[in-house]
Amino acid sequence: MKKIYWTVAMLTMVYMSYVPIAKGQLPFDEIMMPKGEICFAGMYEHSSWSQYWEGTYLRENANIGTFNRQMFMPMLAMGLTKKINLITSLPYISTEASGGTQVGQSGLQDLSISMKVDWLQHRVGSGRILFLTNTHFSRPVGNYLSDYMPFSIGVGAPEIGLRGIGGYKMDNGLVFRIAAAYLWRGQTEIERNYYYQDGSVYSSFMNVPSALNIHGAIGYWAFENRLRLEATYMSLNCLTGDDIRAYNRPQPTNKMEVSQIGVWTQYYIKADQGFGALAYFNQTISGRNMGKATTFGLGITYQFKVN
Amino acid sequence: MKKYTNSSWGLILVLWLLSSCLEDTPNFYEFEDYTFNNLDEDGGSWQTILVSNLENINIATPEATNSAAYQAELASVKESISKMSAAERQAVRYWSNNPTIRWNEIALEMAAKYNLIPGPNADGTYTLPNPANPLGPPPFPFAHPPYTSRMLAYLSVAQFDALVVTWHYKFQYNREAPYRVDNAIQSAYPQNQLPAYPSHGAAIAKASKEILTLMFPLEAAFLEEKYKEHLKSLVHSGQNVPSDIEAGISIAEEIVSLAKQRASTDGMAQAQTSKAVSDSIANAAYERFGWKWENTETPQRPVGLTPLFGNVRMWHVPNVEEVRSPPPPAIGSAQFQSDAQELQRYASNMTVTQRRIANWWEDGLNSYTPPGHWNKFAKISIVKNKLNPLRAARVFAYMNTAIMDAGVACWDTKYYYHYPRPVESIPGFKTILGTPNFPAYTSGHSTFSASAAEVLSYFFPEDANQFEVWAEEAAVSRIYGGIHYRFDATEGTKQGKLVGTYAVNKAKMDGAM
Repeated sequence: MKKIYWTVAMLTMVYMSYVPIAKGQLPFDEIMMPKGEICFAGMYEHSSWSQYWEGTYLRENANIGTFNRQMFMPMLAMGLTKKINLITSLPYISTEASGGTQVGQSGLQDLSISMKVDWLQHRVGSGRILFLTNTHFSRPVGNYLSDYMPFSIGVGAPEIGLRGIGGYKMDNGLVFRIAAAYLWRGQTEIERNYYYQDGSVYSSFMNVPSALNIHGAIGYWAFENRLRLEATYMSLNCLTGDDIRAYNRPQPTNKMEVSQIGVWTQYYIKADQGFGALAYFNQTISGRNMGKATTFGLGITYQFKVN
Repeated sequence: MKKYTNSSWGLILVLWLLSSCLEDTPNFYEFEDYTFNNLDEDGGSWQTILVSNLENINIATPEATNSAAYQAELASVKESISKMSAAERQAVRYWSNNPTIRWNEIALEMAAKYNLIPGPNADGTYTLPNPANPLGPPPFPFAHPPYTSRMLAYLSVAQFDALVVTWHYKFQYNREAPYRVDNAIQSAYPQNQLPAYPSHGAAIAKASKEILTLMFPLEAAFLEEKYKEHLKSLVHSGQNVPSDIEAGISIAEEIVSLAKQRASTDGMAQAQTSKAVSDSIANAAYERFGWKWENTETPQRPVGLTPLFGNVRMWHVPNVEEVRSPPPPAIGSAQFQSDAQELQRYASNMTVTQRRIANWWEDGLNSYTPPGHWNKFAKISIVKNKLNPLRAARVFAYMNTAIMDAGVACWDTKYYYHYPRPVESIPGFKTILGTPNFPAYTSGHSTFSASAAEVLSYFFPEDANQFEVWAEEAAVSRIYGGIHYRFDATEGTKQGKLVGTYAVNKAKMDGAM
């Protein structure tokens, strides 16, 4: 009897290795799509906070009350080759506060294009060591104003990111992954030509601080590699910048820092083509010049293969 | 791996190229030192603002340039120049030969730094900045627009009077600058025939440092450092020997004491009232007109910003009621309805240009305020027209006293009519700019700007049209921002222009051509 089970399991594994599993992906994970595969994703994210860090001081502000941010993000990923994938996205964001008399903002944020390269897959022990890189460029589209913080929908500056992704994917479905990125940010153009940043600045450009961005995850592939479950960690630390001043609004020059923990789950179809779904939840655990946000996201993916 | 290395280098190159095409973010106005278009040899006879008789301010008769004492001073100057450090050379370039510009910029920086509104305490109360305990919290001062307008007025008046007195003695004693007496000394700036005793640079430095320390007591150490750096640059640039500098300082001391005397009794100390006084002002308006403004923040601020700034002593207007605006349209009247609807139209359909104008002129918290914005325009015109420091100080003095008078007039009108803000009178209305903590009518931006434009147009007539366009744009920016009705702006502009003419009429008769 035991032998039959064993045989069935073996057969299943052999079968699985021949059936393609369609996989959506993000710029900071280890997932690659084969050549000719295309994945559309539509993501919705809701994030809110009622406390924020003014510098390192966690406070409330009744003239903001609860701050809500919603994002809808279409995303497109494609396998250029087995080793090179492209990912592009363009979020629409809207913000509003429950308190105070100031109006929220909404609009298209930044167009991002990124290239993921699979450099290394090496068998070690009972799994594979992976190394990938992701290089991205993003820039604002439309004319949203970064200087309406906290209502502004983005920092309004071009960004170039260089990310290394290392992972160990075990045969039993466990995945350990860490991604570290350097995010170079340029300037944001504002609609005034004087501002205060540790002194007078006579310019209509603000330098948005560059940042270090870490993603970590412990994941598990279940149900024949169709369900991915992950416990996640993310941090973003600006390398320079000033603090929000006492009871003052933030500005794009601020040294923003945030770290959050979360969970991520994604369901992949077991075919060349079809729908998948994802959901995630993140809780900010520490920060500086940022809101202490609770975030959840939902997404659907549609995948197909050309040629 | 080689491919990887190459692409890394490629990216580093791209980042470097991107960094090199970033815009400058300068901390002060960089301009080439210029030859003054005029030395105003008669400047010592111009009408002063604080000083009633400049013969009462005496300085010692200077030693002749061929005296042993002067020669010893020259030797010390030469030695000091020969030992100049790189930082000291940079200071000479920074301070320039028109240091009124730099002290004005320092004043604006202080204004922006201290322009933070105190937040609520944990129990929902508010603590106001207290000059008796400047450290706070909250720190003293809150450099809001009325505060900043007054700070700039005292600064510029003290600089101007100090320079008139300085000019008087310069041309009485006619002692030349070190670089004219001794060929071994170079002037760091374009040369001229301006006598060096007493030093106008030192007079500006001392007057500015003292007034700014009075206004921003927590900055005393920073200002002292700037002051010392400035005085040193006067020697290093070949402009002055130490006795020139001492004489300039002693003139400024006299002027500063007059300025402090006026400031201590001008009514500013009573401008921020108790809740009882504030309520009685609001109720008086309610009984007269049937409305009153209320603060819309959470928790509510019990008292608006400086309800009695309208009582503060003006510079050029004998009685504030002369320049009080006529009553605003009644709430609910046809005029009110049409102006309220205009705001709703902008809010639901704002163009890129309207948004830009609203933000360009916001000059809100954490900024140098509208008076600061106009000081920047004045500075640029001063450099463009190559004014000497005395002429520059005259522009700043008349403009900043007019701006403060406009603030006083506007605040008198604001608290007399106590008119509600659009977020109070239009149900559900939200704005792109923060609503300030004082009544709507008339608009402060409009009043400040129109008075400044009136004065600048007198001094720089070739740019009068531009100043007027800016003043109009500043006024309308508040309508786009959703925090003022059009009648606040229109009447504010009229009021500011009227107040400005009082200053211009004084300037026309001060003896300067």
